[in-house]
Amino acid sequence: MVDLESDIGLQPATFGAVVSASEFSSPIVGVEPVMGDAVLLTVTVPAAMAESVRPGHFFDLLCRLDGSFDPLLRRPYSVFRSDPRHQTLTFLVRPFGRGSAWLVSRTVGASLELLGPLGNTYTIAPKSRNLLMVAGGVGAAPLVMLTDRAVAQGLNVTFLMGSADGPGLLSPSMLPSVVEYQVATDDGSKGHHGFVTDLVGDYVRSHWPDQVFACGPESMYRSLRGAVNPHRTGRRPTVQVSMERTMACGLGACLGCVVETRHGMQASCVQGPVYDMDEIVW
Amino acid sequence: MVVSLNPDLSVDLAPENVRELRLANPIIAASGCFGYGLEYSHVIDVQRLGAFVSKGVTPRPRSGNPMPRIAESPAGMLNAIGLQNPGVHGFIKKYPRIWETWQVPGIVNISAEAVDDYAMMARLLDEQPGISAIEVNVSCPNIARGGYCFGWDAEMSADVTRAVRAATTLPVIVKLSPGAVDIAEVGRAVEAAGADAISLINTFVGMAIDPRTRRPILANVTGGVSGPAIKPMAVRMVYQVAAAVGIPVIGMGGISCLDDVLEFLFAGASAVQIGTAIFVQPSLLMRLIDELSAWMIAEQVSTIGEIVGAALPKIDTTTNGAMEAMQVAAG
Repeated sequence: MVDLESDIGLQPATFGAVVSASEFSSPIVGVEPVMGDAVLLTVTVPAAMAESVRPGHFFDLLCRLDGSFDPLLRRPYSVFRSDPRHQTLTFLVRPFGRGSAWLVSRTVGASLELLGPLGNTYTIAPKSRNLLMVAGGVGAAPLVMLTDRAVAQGLNVTFLMGSADGPGLLSPSMLPSVVEYQVATDDGSKGHHGFVTDLVGDYVRSHWPDQVFACGPESMYRSLRGAVNPHRTGRRPTVQVSMERTMACGLGACLGCVVETRHGMQASCVQGPVYDMDEIVW
Repeated sequence: MVVSLNPDLSVDLAPENVRELRLANPIIAASGCFGYGLEYSHVIDVQRLGAFVSKGVTPRPRSGNPMPRIAESPAGMLNAIGLQNPGVHGFIKKYPRIWETWQVPGIVNISAEAVDDYAMMARLLDEQPGISAIEVNVSCPNIARGGYCFGWDAEMSADVTRAVRAATTLPVIVKLSPGAVDIAEVGRAVEAAGADAISLINTFVGMAIDPRTRRPILANVTGGVSGPAIKPMAVRMVYQVAAAVGIPVIGMGGISCLDDVLEFLFAGASAVQIGTAIFVQPSLLMRLIDELSAWMIAEQVSTIGEIVGAALPKIDTTTNGAMEAMQVAAG
């Protein structure tokens, strides 16, 4: 049986406030190589927009030259950093396909077409003190922003990061110094030799985190469930994950990016991308 | 020299129907690409549109196809959403009372797998406020005929049209499938069955295979191809149908700029629908209205009617002119 409200993609987002999206173009003011072949792409935006963006929000970026139809669709990118004082937004982009390859080849002064902010956000519960971040590759983007906010609120953060190899990892200098930072690599060149989720069990077993926030591929979420679930006390810690889907409209109209939840098929661009792990039908 | 400073962009898409379908301009947001209108209401000024068409509504709620549902193709995309929607009763509970407060005409797109179900939905929608017209999607499998698509067959398309026509006095637009063997014949058949207007084309059935996994990308295996890639085929079909019928034609298929809009109008469309391009640039809809108006001023065109069908062969009383028009319609 389908749930009518959620089925049509108009149920209020589970977490965070949905802010109004707009379509605009903006000059690129920074292109900084990071994490191996990735770049931090910074654009200017109105201060009010930079102020309204929350960790987990994403923008749909147009990745094609004027006059061309390829690639046709925009690409969704979570915000890595939002800076109201300098009126900038920063995205973390690694070249995987044609769209991202085009993005990383942009230069300062070029113009970027944006649609956003879109989607819901990660939400820190009022009583949470200890937060565990679990990042897979460029999935680190929204968790870096969330970590900055959490530390500013005086919360304790442990940041776990996994990558294929050492150079693909986030530099510790990009996180506040009070954050405990642990890494895992597939090739063992740095930190734990294996998956980042291998590091999660110890923290959950010792009942340290109040909340877990994750961003990475769906395979990482599956092993995260395996690492967390056996050691949970009731629902504690709760786990929020950001679901990655191919998207077309970003506004809940096309229903191309749905996620199957306990409440039916939901448009992850509007009712997500952030979901409570327990709400998703895995 | 007559300089038209205020061109008239309005179009009448159901001239024979007393309930009328008058649009302030010929730019319509296409079904499946605009949700139910609300989704875009905070991004663009939806009220400025000529009209918008809802996502396909079915007799019962549908949760749609498994993921992945979309794939990119060169200058296009494939989709296999599977008509995820709340069903006609769910639709009626929520949207008519919102649309009623809007200035922009809202058109409901309906899909079904049996003639009776199309009629049932048309009957229910007929009594609702806020609905300006019904667009009938005939690109669905006909269960009574072994799943053969209604829209591929003139007689089956006409059966659906007749049933809907009998069930409502609302303007009825029949949306043709490009899979029809002879699309002009289907156009003539639905006109004879009582359609007020014809819209075309729906998506082409296509598929894409992932070279790495060696498997189809879409969970549904096949999907509808849309976007700039299908535009030349769409223009050809609009041209053929416009030459064959007397009722207004609404053209669509890969429209992404003003020149594309003009191309469809010259091919014989009285209005156009924009679909896939909305996903990329919602603001395109507003821009097309402004650019069309500016173009009409520059070209000294005072009404849309003056340019509709400009590319069609001139139909005159001589045998040659009539022959040429017939050949176009026959493809």
